[in-house]
Amino acid sequence: MSSSASTSQPIQSTSAAVEHTKDDDVPHLGVLEEDDEFEEFAVADWDDSQTDLAHLGGTAPGAAKSGGDKLWEDNWDDDDIEDDFSVQLRSELAKKKGNGGGPESMQH
Amino acid sequence: MSSQKFSVYLTQLAEALREEKGPELAYLLKPTSDHGKALVKDFRGNITKHSLSYYEGSLESPWDEVAIQYVLVVNLCAKKRAADAFKEECTLVSLFLRFFAVNSGWTLPALFSILRDLRDLAFDVGPGTANMEEAARIISKAFSNCVTDRQSPIQESRKWGVYYVVGLILKCYFRVKRISLSKNILRAIEANPDIPPLSQYPRSHQVTYRYYIGMLSFLNEDFAKAEQELTLAFYNCYTGAHSNQERILTYLIPLRMFRGHLPSKELLQRFPVLEDLYTPFITAIRTGDIRSYDATLDRFERRLVDLNLWLTLDRARELCIRGLFRRVWIAAEKSTRVPVSMFHAALTISAEDMASEEAECLVANMIYKGFMRGYISHEKQMVVIAKTDAFPRLADRPTPFALLQ
Repeated sequence: MSSSASTSQPIQSTSAAVEHTKDDDVPHLGVLEEDDEFEEFAVADWDDSQTDLAHLGGTAPGAAKSGGDKLWEDNWDDDDIEDDFSVQLRSELAKKKGNGGGPESMQH
Repeated sequence: MSSQKFSVYLTQLAEALREEKGPELAYLLKPTSDHGKALVKDFRGNITKHSLSYYEGSLESPWDEVAIQYVLVVNLCAKKRAADAFKEECTLVSLFLRFFAVNSGWTLPALFSILRDLRDLAFDVGPGTANMEEAARIISKAFSNCVTDRQSPIQESRKWGVYYVVGLILKCYFRVKRISLSKNILRAIEANPDIPPLSQYPRSHQVTYRYYIGMLSFLNEDFAKAEQELTLAFYNCYTGAHSNQERILTYLIPLRMFRGHLPSKELLQRFPVLEDLYTPFITAIRTGDIRSYDATLDRFERRLVDLNLWLTLDRARELCIRGLFRRVWIAAEKSTRVPVSMFHAALTISAEDMASEEAECLVANMIYKGFMRGYISHEKQMVVIAKTDAFPRLADRPTPFALLQ
């Protein structure tokens, strides 16, 4: 029995990795392999301070930034994206207006 | 035949039992430890069940037989005969359980250790599911022995082994992809209301259990429960156990995305692998860039399929469409009336050619699912958009997982 039998899977992972690198385009996701398992913890118990509960400032897990958890953002709608796509969209809109509302309203 | 070292080993076992030293007992039964290898060496190759039967009766039953099994297992492990080693370890565990079933929780460290070894040996045997299922079956017996402790005072109860043991059983089933077998053991937990609450167990037991429950829920498409359990698993996880946290987040991040919670830079930077995987999706959702979303989905397809994540991220494409439609609305200066043709044009520019009807259908679908508020005037080909809260924050949707079909 190898000492690393269950917790890490160097053997399995390597064979999978070799297989994957055959297609050049498939990005390498490092250790993230479907064969990886949840590892045995080296210690049985620990304090809040050794967890990400420390980020919550006392609130319950499950909230985002507006609820006090800076690890997750919940206000990210952006009204001011300026890129080629915005320009294209606006010119489309201008075209519609230029057409005087388009053929569909002319039917009425 | 006799061995000086084995006699010492028997004395050590007897002492650990007499003084109820659980961790010491665990150590003595570990197939990989040096004292085991030294024992085997001391027998000079003469190790069979028959030759060792000389020692039967040298300790109170079942410990004489446990000791003999131990030598057999160590010997077979050393010879890399994994299948035989597994078989002998099965016998060792069954013998141990006879003792365990009539003793209190001081034995739990030894139980955990030999069950872990059992699973590891089943793993070493290699392909095929039979050994792993056999391991799970034996570990399930240990579960029953934990649950049925009615004598020990609560602080010394075998019940404190319940969640660790269940975690191991689930680990077996996940390994051989027989997760439907998990149902029985989970039902057995529910059927035993006198099991102490999960929160009173050591955090390592809690987090492992919640991880597997979260994963089971995820695979069964109960996303709301999956999100809850994985959130608790993540926040209670030891931050030093980096790969476990990474494993949890791999599934938690897409689930939180549906709730409108995007992982912060700070979080992603701690997990570069996840940063590489999820940043392109997140950027596309923020900017409504469907083309880039689809390209990322394609690029990662194989790996996402392997991880059972492809379908989930395919469904999350809706979040990206919402972003796109919101940009149309902003380009129209947040007008309450935006022609269907604008949405059609936006889709055509950013994704692919499609018929106007298809675009209209997509708008209707986004309205139906609560991503935008308004209605379509089909005859005027106009989308009439609500004056207030036209595109509710994703985080405010009351049931983000309800329509994930």
